[in-house]
Amino acid sequence: MDKLISDFVYIGAGLAITLQLLVGSFLMGIVVGSLLSIIRVSDISKICTFLIERVISVIRGTPLVLQLSLIYFSVPGILDIKLSALSAGIVAFGINSSAYISEILRAGIESLPQGQFEAARTLGIPKYYMWKDIIMPQVIANIYPAMINEIIALLKETALIVTIGGMDIMRRSQIIAAERYEYFAPLCIAGAYYYLLVVLIEFIGKKIENRKIKC
Amino acid sequence: MLKINNIHKSYNGTKILKGVTLEISRGKRLGLAGPSGSGKTTLLRCIQDLETQDIGTIKCSEKTCFMFQDFQLFPHMTVWQNLLYAPNLNGDRGQNEQRANKFLRDLGLEDKKQSYPKSLSGGQKQRVALARSLMINPSLLLCDEPTSGLDVATVMDVVILLKSVSASGVTMIIASHDLDFLVKMSDRIVLLKEGEIAVDVDVQKHNDPVNYLKKYY
Repeated sequence: MDKLISDFVYIGAGLAITLQLLVGSFLMGIVVGSLLSIIRVSDISKICTFLIERVISVIRGTPLVLQLSLIYFSVPGILDIKLSALSAGIVAFGINSSAYISEILRAGIESLPQGQFEAARTLGIPKYYMWKDIIMPQVIANIYPAMINEIIALLKETALIVTIGGMDIMRRSQIIAAERYEYFAPLCIAGAYYYLLVVLIEFIGKKIENRKIKC
Repeated sequence: MLKINNIHKSYNGTKILKGVTLEISRGKRLGLAGPSGSGKTTLLRCIQDLETQDIGTIKCSEKTCFMFQDFQLFPHMTVWQNLLYAPNLNGDRGQNEQRANKFLRDLGLEDKKQSYPKSLSGGQKQRVALARSLMINPSLLLCDEPTSGLDVATVMDVVILLKSVSASGVTMIIASHDLDFLVKMSDRIVLLKEGEIAVDVDVQKHNDPVNYLKKYY
């Protein structure tokens, strides 16, 4: 029993890394993804739109573990910088997530009636306020369930940090397993932590949805 | 106040407007009649600059506002927020609130202040859309099918409302396929057919403008 408790505590210490990866990469994903989708739907420049679409296609069309390895192993050599596993993870997961978030946002924006943009225009509402107060609140309401799914997917993807040595929940469970040649209990503990986090995200998501979204 | 000179507009090779020339002076109510697809909405959208004509010019010296057929109220905002959002961006909030209260009182919507658009009936949405348009003080109001989907009693309410707005000096162009409504509403009716003006009628000078216009349908 003591061993089980100490395993829970040891693996649980990886929560800090997992949560930093999740929050950091989601924030990066939402900022970059929003910019990309607004540039695409605004049709500011055809070349920009084309390039963004190609980049998104490449990001979605290659394995995340490959993108993570590229950033962790290649970028430091090319740019002559040092990257920790955590920073590389946030950048890789953030870029990957931005591609998916951009697609979710684009679909959300395009699902709004064109008349909403036109109504804002005829009322003389400047573009910045139109996006901030008229379009985005409606888009967020429409894409909310898809965004919760993206956060959950991102959480599970953070486990790939083990491939570059990040000490997250998954890595810690593997360390215990390798020490004792006993896989079942440590992996189940890691699974329980991930599952609890998913349940927590779903619970918070539903609470916010019920309170905030009145559309 | 508005001069439209020989405008043409096509979508994907289909000609919608074929050389429309029109003038309207301040304070008048112009009805735009015509069957579906005759170019009424496209003409209004060109005047509002929601579309750009392929050929021709539109000169408008006044502030315009467009009332959409499907209202396009902002669904995440209450009636009160719908009315005040645009004018409050660069106007006096106190004054705007006074005007919004007056419009809501005049339009019988005082008790709907905190309601969201989804809980309103078609007629109520119509009135909120009208109030929202008037909040930005337009000199020219463009109404696209303002009676579509409304029952007979509500149509009469809309006539009274729009006439009272017109009496306050707002010029109007009203597009509708409902000739009876247009005759009640307008000083003059222009009938569009296949993108061209088929007939231009001064409503006061005709005994039976509805039947006269029907000949051109």
